[in-house]
Order: sequence, then structure tokens, then C-alpha cells
Amino acid sequence: MINLQEFVYKPGEHEAERASSSYLMSLVALVGGLPLPIINLFATVGFFLANRKGTYFVRWHCTQALLSQLSLLFMNSFGFWWTISVVFGTEQITNHYLAYILTIILFNIAEFIATIYTAVKTGKGEHVSWWLYGDLTNLICKNKDAKSYF
Amino acid sequence: MQKVIFRTLVIIAFFFSTWFIINQFDWITIFNVKELTSDTEEKLGEIFWEMIERNNDEIDDEDIITIIDTLVSKICTSNNIDQSRIKIHVLDSYEVNAYALPDNHLIIFKELILSCDNESELCGVICHELAHLQKDHVVKKLVKEVGLSVLISTTIGNTSPDIISSSVKTLSSTAYDRNLEQVADLTAVDYMISSDIDPLPFANFLSRTWGDESEIIENLSWVSTHPEANARSEYIISYCEDYSWESVEILAPSTWLKLKSQLKDY
Repeated sequence: MINLQEFVYKPGEHEAERASSSYLMSLVALVGGLPLPIINLFATVGFFLANRKGTYFVRWHCTQALLSQLSLLFMNSFGFWWTISVVFGTEQITNHYLAYILTIILFNIAEFIATIYTAVKTGKGEHVSWWLYGDLTNLICKNKDAKSYF
Repeated sequence: MQKVIFRTLVIIAFFFSTWFIINQFDWITIFNVKELTSDTEEKLGEIFWEMIERNNDEIDDEDIITIIDTLVSKICTSNNIDQSRIKIHVLDSYEVNAYALPDNHLIIFKELILSCDNESELCGVICHELAHLQKDHVVKKLVKEVGLSVLISTTIGNTSPDIISSSVKTLSSTAYDRNLEQVADLTAVDYMISSDIDPLPFANFLSRTWGDESEIIENLSWVSTHPEANARSEYIISYCEDYSWESVEILAPSTWLKLKSQLKDY
């Protein structure tokens, strides 16, 4: 699910630090955003925008961090509004509801662990590509720094 | 691009399969959800009822209670509701009101019974309150109006009498959400039809009481705190159009008249 790959160039120490911070940002947002999933997105989008003119390595990892947050946003938002409906609305606590909450807790934990691992590895200048999110990032994030000699 | 689409579909399938597998376990039993909820409701119901009992006179006339019990029994039996859990209290008050408390306490005010023209109207109100109880609306309303933390501290005895009193006032004098009211109204209609009670008098009771502003309006709590009684009456009538029912009187006409006369003299 998570691959260590060779990047197109060897990132510098400062670059690696910034790329690692993009994951730490989503991690902080994950903790703060558990009850309010939208916070995750705001924090990561903020960091993504701040680094959109950064180097390819930084932009690539900011994009991967942002995309990984998006899927959690959908899952957590649905769980959040379902909970609101159970507490205040017409919904009742059912097995489907409890199973859904447990499922999103599992996915959040998996994301949490993967994010910590990626932050540590990226901080050391290694290039970590997630299953699906890495592919999506490759489609979205292009290397503007690459010079064409032809 | 095809690889991305394929992997997206795999992730979505993985999420739903995980949910499906987790859903195979009975989490309601594993987490003791029902017991925890009923323990909390029991404590809240006890505390709130004690407060109401201190400030109101409960009618304990056996004849009156038996007649109300007969109506509730018919509704509960026809709708698979455990009647032994329903605690009915008739209060001697000139307020046209009825409400539900946690732990299945159903409070009916004397004046509300007197303002009903027939047993179907009274059954409509009882069914509406039973629906609130069966659908867990009472605790939801308390959580929304009073707050979860206050409710929890109430159950462990850390709340002042003022807060308990204001919680009771919330339950007795303010309306539920429009959605919850509609669910309770339509569920009440279902209960009435299953019990062979004509639901239309319930709709008439709402619009009649709402329209009659010559009555002392502040005493019409049950109707005035349930907004847009005319609109409610209309959607009840329109909901009934899809159903047919047989209307069977639960009480003999003389018993209904006896109930009203005994309440008048009480």
C-alpha cells in the first residue's frame, strides 16, 4: 500500500523538512478535526496553497497529503452528520450506524499510522508513494522544474 | 488513468466490504447500548417525575385511571408496545396539555381530556405521545435543549433543582423539532389505524382547538406549543387518504361520558 520509490532528483534537507511538514499538518488537523472533519481539509489546503510555488518534491508531497485527506473527509463527514442525526434528529442508534463508526475509526487509524510513517521517511528525504494517492498525485502534480533540452 | 480508476474502485469496494463485515456483529448487544440507554432514562424519568409530583396533584381515582388504561392498553396491544413499561399519570390541572417524560412516563392533564369530544381525539393525543416515547424523541429533545453534560450530571445527582425544573418545563411547554413532530403525528396515525381507531378526529382536534381563539389561549399549551396545528391537521388528513380502516369504539359511550363527568367533578 505504501512504496518507497526513487524520486526524479535527490531532495535537499530543507525540502525534505517542508514535505514532511505537510504530513504533520494533516496529522495535527486529523487530531483536531476528529469531531469536525472539515478542519482537516482547511489545514491541509492552507499548507498546500502556501507551498504551491515550492519545489517539485514539496508540491508532490503536499498534494499527496491533501488527496489522502479528501477521502477521509467524505467518510468522516458522513459519520459526523449521521451522529448529529442520531443525537438530535430522527435517526436511532442501529447496528449499521455503530458498524459505520467503527469502520471510519479503523480507516482513520490506518491513515494516522501511514501518515506518521510517511512524515518520518519524507523527513529523511525518501520518497514515499501511497497506493492510489501516489498515482493520483502523479497525474495532478507535474514537474515544472524539469528542463527540456529538445 | 485506467489504473487510477481501477484503484479508486478497489478502495471504495474495500471500504464498503469492511463496513459490511463489521456490520455482521451485533454491536448493540456488545456495547450494551439498550441497557445503558434505559438505565439513564430510568434515572432521568424518576428525577423529573418526582419534581412534577411535588408541584401537581395526580388524579388517583381508580375509575378514571382504569378508563385511560383501557384506551392505552388497546393501543399498546395493537402495536406491539410493552404496556407494562408505560407509566400513565393524569394530573389535575386546567391546562390543555399532555407530554412524555424519559422512562415512558406519559402525563395527561385533566383539562385536555375534558376538551376532547370523543375517545378518538384523546387516543390521537395518547398515540402522539407514545410515538415520541417509542422513537426516543424525549431524550433527544432534552439533549438538544438542555445539553448532554447537564443530563449526565443530572443522572448522577449533580444538578440543582432549578435545572431539573427547567428541564421539565422544556419537556412540557416547548415543541419538538418540526421533523420529530411530524414523525410523531404520522406514527400516531399508524398506531390508531392498527388499533381500529378513526384518526380523523385527531386531525379535527388539532384544527378545532387551534382555531378556537375565544378559549383562554395560554391554557392551550399542547396545541400552542406544537406549531402550525392547522398544517399538522392537513398533513394528517392527507396521510390518511392512503389508508382505509375500520373504526371500532373502545369504550361504551356511557363510559366516555362517565369519564368526563368524573373528571369535571374531581
